[in-house]
Amino acid sequence: MEYVISVLVLMGIYVILSSSFNLIIGYGGLISIAHPIFFALGAYTCGVLSVNMSIWPPLAVALGAGLALVFSLMLSLPSLRISGDYLLITSIGFQLGLLEVIKHLSFTGGASGLGNIPNVVDFGDRSTVFAAISIALAALVFVFIRWLIRGPYGLLISAMRDDELVYTSLGRNAMKVKLVIFGIGCACAGLAGGLYAYYYQYVNPDQFEILQSSMILTMVVVGGMGSQWGPVVGAVLLLFMPQAIGFLNFPPSVMAPLQGLLYSSLVIIFLFVRPQGLMAAFDRNSSRPSK
Amino acid sequence: MTFSILLQILWTGLAISSYAVLFAMSFSLILKVVKIWNFAQAGFMCLVFYSLYVCLNIFDWPMWIGVLASFFITSVSAIGFFRYGIETLRARNSTSLTFFILTLVVSQFMGYFFAMCFGTEPISITKNIMSPVIMVGGIVISHWDLQALGLTTLTVLTLFVIMHKTHLGQFMSAVADHPTLARLYGIDVNRVYLYTIVLACLLMTVGMYLFGLKVAMLPNTPLQMMLLAVIATLLGGMGQVFGAAAAAILLSLLQSLSVFVIPSEWQSLLIYAFLFLTILFFPQGFSWQTMKSFLGGGKT
Amino acid sequence: MIPILKIEKVCKRFGGIVVADAIDLEIHAGEILGLIGPNGAGKSSLFNLISGIYPIDSGEITLMGQSLHGLSMVKRAQSGISRTWQHMRLFPSMTVLNNLVVASRYYEAENLRALFFQSGKVKGLQAEKENDAMEILVRMGLASLSNSPIADLTFGQQKLIGLARALMNDGPCLLLDEPMAGVEGQSYETIKDIVRQEANRGRAICVVEHNISFVKDLCNSAVFMFNGKLLERGSVDDLLASKTLEALYFGGQKTIPVS
Repeated sequence: MEYVISVLVLMGIYVILSSSFNLIIGYGGLISIAHPIFFALGAYTCGVLSVNMSIWPPLAVALGAGLALVFSLMLSLPSLRISGDYLLITSIGFQLGLLEVIKHLSFTGGASGLGNIPNVVDFGDRSTVFAAISIALAALVFVFIRWLIRGPYGLLISAMRDDELVYTSLGRNAMKVKLVIFGIGCACAGLAGGLYAYYYQYVNPDQFEILQSSMILTMVVVGGMGSQWGPVVGAVLLLFMPQAIGFLNFPPSVMAPLQGLLYSSLVIIFLFVRPQGLMAAFDRNSSRPSK
Repeated sequence: MTFSILLQILWTGLAISSYAVLFAMSFSLILKVVKIWNFAQAGFMCLVFYSLYVCLNIFDWPMWIGVLASFFITSVSAIGFFRYGIETLRARNSTSLTFFILTLVVSQFMGYFFAMCFGTEPISITKNIMSPVIMVGGIVISHWDLQALGLTTLTVLTLFVIMHKTHLGQFMSAVADHPTLARLYGIDVNRVYLYTIVLACLLMTVGMYLFGLKVAMLPNTPLQMMLLAVIATLLGGMGQVFGAAAAAILLSLLQSLSVFVIPSEWQSLLIYAFLFLTILFFPQGFSWQTMKSFLGGGKT
Repeated sequence: MIPILKIEKVCKRFGGIVVADAIDLEIHAGEILGLIGPNGAGKSSLFNLISGIYPIDSGEITLMGQSLHGLSMVKRAQSGISRTWQHMRLFPSMTVLNNLVVASRYYEAENLRALFFQSGKVKGLQAEKENDAMEILVRMGLASLSNSPIADLTFGQQKLIGLARALMNDGPCLLLDEPMAGVEGQSYETIKDIVRQEANRGRAICVVEHNISFVKDLCNSAVFMFNGKLLERGSVDDLLASKTLEALYFGGQKTIPVS
């Protein structure tokens, strides 16, 4: 039971991560592999702040999301000025580079990580409370993204995606939409990071490596890029995958890469066999499936 | 800091730039002719390395057979990837997003595969990665340095001859500039792609051979080395394979020289700083025009 | 009366190719100007220069007396220049109605402060845009298609929607790039009527067309372009009677005859 509850916490976190990543690549058509680093920024902000001072947890989480937003602009502004393709390259650099920086800084605990993040839930059963908060936040993020996509802003996103030149000739600013989508997506990742840090009370650079971006990408591609429920389905399914392979009692040094292998294989298979993902056919509001 | 230390660092930096040049040229060549950002290159670099490792350490084959075998394996895999992966997506008119995802994920896939097979400890292809040295005028020159520079120069010259003095080279230029037109002129575009991929694999093989003789590697390492190849390609200008080579030498040397200015633990970050500077100031590649327009504020 | 659109000595070249060679042109309110010439004459390029896709090398383009120099594509659209495209280029992932709504000259939801903190007002404005779009669709007789995806439309209908989209800008200057290409029957008549109506409302309209009967039917005057140069101008009848036109456009001659 305890186990199911902790999976629920993780599920909420990953629904936020996959939905926000889907906003960036599925709806925005931007490609970035730097989602884990924004996740990390949120986590480390909460960790560092709460270890060094007593701070109201929701404020710390908000600051984490805010920092992720600011950093997202540092990444997107120079790259998108050139083209969407450049964002990919700079995101690789950002992901790898910023992680290196974190490993070298002392106040982040360096390569061995930051522990002793204080417990902020001392009422009721800790895990259950966290599970409730996690699911609630995930629902909030989901509803927010849904509101954005289905409202007037959603038309901007679709049109920009369909034909950027014509979009611009109508008097609309394509760059702004991209920056906003990227910013919101990264801020949500930062939000998830804060939740993660407070639940596990320990953050470590290895948790935010490229394996994370594989996992999140798999959730989005398998669930269905550009559909709203797709990333949710993807997150739920893929969280159960480690359990599915857990019965193979391989040592941990094999399990981690094996997981990565399975995630990458799934993406490759889906890219060729069912590029629209699992959910696209069922979702009225999905954008044109990317091929 | 004496002159001889500077010279030593320059020499060693130049020698190390050898494999950087080869990886950069490989990436740039594929981008120029096949027109894809081949992030799967990191995966293929792993393939070269680990197949060489297996040939040498498990089958106990001599080095030259191992190198040939890994070149063959990588070429076949790369051709297969292109034919069944890239071509399929092209036939579907997939967006560049899909291509990026595919090439990146293929690299990740290979990385995980090799991590699963070979573990998380760094391994090297030969038991001993120290090579004998000679002293010339106060500078330490290792046999590896000489081999690296010699082999790389030979490879670059060969590529130059192929690209500028052979029919294949002309076809490659034609396909790079205008594939549809090339096809209309009777050039077998797919065959040109094939040869290009094989050439890129050759560059990768020589590069990984040299790299493997010097460094113990993790499956993750090629992805980080790719970054230098990508930056060099950007800096050298899209479609300029030899420009990418020059940029790779420059970046490598800067990395080596930076030891004077930056504490060693921050050195690994230099490459990322280069990336951002390139994107900010030279996204179309370095050219004197861009430089002048920055300095003089004149019209380009 | 000052012209709505004024093009003075505009030049543009791409490497060795001259797409615009000292072009002088004026379009007044209520005027429908035909821009004819063989393919490659520079007609669509002129539209691209006016709408701001690339900058001119020299010369001046003025809209309602204000220079467009240095203005981005976005700003030019917001000043009231709208255009259609040779290949329609509608947004395939959106319905017909939404294709039009997103083309309004001002789109308040682009502003984040308005989007998040004035959502009521934005909603109201959005409804207004939908009404404007429906009005245009009704005028075209396509109201029933408002919720259809673009893929369900016939070629002629798509052309009409492309025109409708340009009309959403409600601006003084309308550039129509081959609005009649491949169109026949009812759609043809509808487009003709709509363009005439818009001219009567005081817009300045420039039409690139190969369909000579359309040009004769609709345009007040026309200009003939060849190799980036504006060779002749005048009433449509005069132009069509010109010997130069006959040689270069209908006769297939490759160079300008020395007179």
